[in-house]
Amino acid sequence: MLNSSIVTPKRALLLCILVVVLAAPAAAGSIERTITPQEGGLDITLTVNDIPVGGIVETLPEGCTWMGTDHPEDRTRVSGEKVAFAIIGEETITYQVQGPQDAAEAFAGTWEDLLTGDSGVVGLDEPGNPEQADATTPPSTPGFGCAAALAALAVLCSRRCGR
Amino acid sequence: MTRRLLLLACSLCLLAGMVAAVPCDGDGDGTLTAPELATAILDSLDARYMGGTVAAPSLTDLQDAAFVYEHWDGRALTITDTSGRTTTLTRPLNRIALFNSDAIRMMRSIGLEPDRVVGVAKYVLEDPVFYPEYQEKANLGSVWSPDYEQTASVRPDAVFLYASVSETSCADIEKTLRAIDPAIHFFRIDSFRPAVYADEVRTLGLLLGKEEEAREFLAFHEDVTGTVADVVDTIPDEDRVPVYLETWNAYKSAGMGSGYDEKVWLAGGRNIFGENPVEYPVVDPEAVISRNPAVIIKIVGAGETTFGGYDDDDLASFESVLRSIENRPVWDRIKAVRDGRVHLIHSKIIGGPDYFIGTAYLAKWFYPDLFADLDPRAIHQRYLDEFQRLDYDLDDHGTFVYPA
Repeated sequence: MLNSSIVTPKRALLLCILVVVLAAPAAAGSIERTITPQEGGLDITLTVNDIPVGGIVETLPEGCTWMGTDHPEDRTRVSGEKVAFAIIGEETITYQVQGPQDAAEAFAGTWEDLLTGDSGVVGLDEPGNPEQADATTPPSTPGFGCAAALAALAVLCSRRCGR
Repeated sequence: MTRRLLLLACSLCLLAGMVAAVPCDGDGDGTLTAPELATAILDSLDARYMGGTVAAPSLTDLQDAAFVYEHWDGRALTITDTSGRTTTLTRPLNRIALFNSDAIRMMRSIGLEPDRVVGVAKYVLEDPVFYPEYQEKANLGSVWSPDYEQTASVRPDAVFLYASVSETSCADIEKTLRAIDPAIHFFRIDSFRPAVYADEVRTLGLLLGKEEEAREFLAFHEDVTGTVADVVDTIPDEDRVPVYLETWNAYKSAGMGSGYDEKVWLAGGRNIFGENPVEYPVVDPEAVISRNPAVIIKIVGAGETTFGGYDDDDLASFESVLRSIENRPVWDRIKAVRDGRVHLIHSKIIGGPDYFIGTAYLAKWFYPDLFADLDPRAIHQRYLDEFQRLDYDLDDHGTFVYPA
């Protein structure tokens, strides 16, 4: 388990970039995931765009443990590494997990809009194939690819600057 | 006697059992609350994604429940249509059959998704330029010649018919289809009568879960009609421009209570045959001459004048009809003819749900000085762009009025 002393400047920069890049631009029917490192774990904020009534299923990465959420108890269900949220008018859902901070890239999730019938992958700005969310690795999306590239660039830069 | 009562009680129980409940209303009290909906959503997600074994609602029930919660406050919706009939619904309408070909334009104005429509009147299929997204729908025939087999085959949950047009035919359709499937809901709306237009848009908005879209469309509609009304309402009745309106058949005018009579009045005119008790009377040409209208309006687009509209870019037929009216025997004595105030307008923008575009044209023709800034063509283009959601440029296509 990580603690605050393990969050080096390089890792902090990388995570900050992830927070910015994983927040996909707002679009009709989408869910953004923003991950912020906290002591010993991660804060995950799901921003709900134009889904008045729907559901989300998040799959926690291996090594992460569910800690809690600000979402109403009767709209949340946890089963193993899966967490379900019922959306009824909420615009954001925040939850916390305990675990390694580099697990931020491995969250997966799927959403459903029960009014339009659309469904998609959490973190994509367009409805898509929710089956991608069942993968244990992050979905291969422009957002994630871009995030990975930027993160690698940040690590490279910080190493060069450190020389 | 006791057996009869028992039978009656059993029948009532069966009837009570047939009254549909709001889906996912866990306690069955008739109101779907947020906790009940949340439980249904979680049970469904649990069963489908998390390996749960709890009894979950079907996806259809869940989606219907979401609709009822979001649009109808979690309760059954009871609405009254234009015919005065009250209907109670516990689920959204997702398989709509439209015998009323005007209603489809009103529904499109409030953003109805085409995939919620399963069948349309044949006129919709005959007009691919204006209804491109409905060309693959089932052909239901018409109010006058319905295709019952086709209609039944698409299993509609709702059938829309006219309220005040062809009432006997509409009643026959309803009776026949109800015998085939008693679960079908029937709605009667007109979609073209100014007096009930706004109410019908609001009712459809509520019925179809398009309340906000209905408000936006009505704001546009009321902006146009209000602009005209603000001016014409200040004109004393005796000063209103006398108008002869002729439908697509020669000398067939509009009488008291007809839609066109109402539209002439809304635009600030006075229908010279407005006192005629026949809705669409055939009038004597001499009577037109003696009443000496200041403006003549000729409706085209059907009957003897089937031309113009969205799929016709040629104004030659308009010009020909205009000349034939001006050349009618002795009509050169009529003020409208002498002053060059004979106008042709296509039924597409005056006869149906798009009537407010037509009344804007009429108002401008009746009072060119008072409506110098009114631009009916711009209103028409905005209607097509924003509310009919059509990629159609009036600069390039279509013939609707002459002279413009």
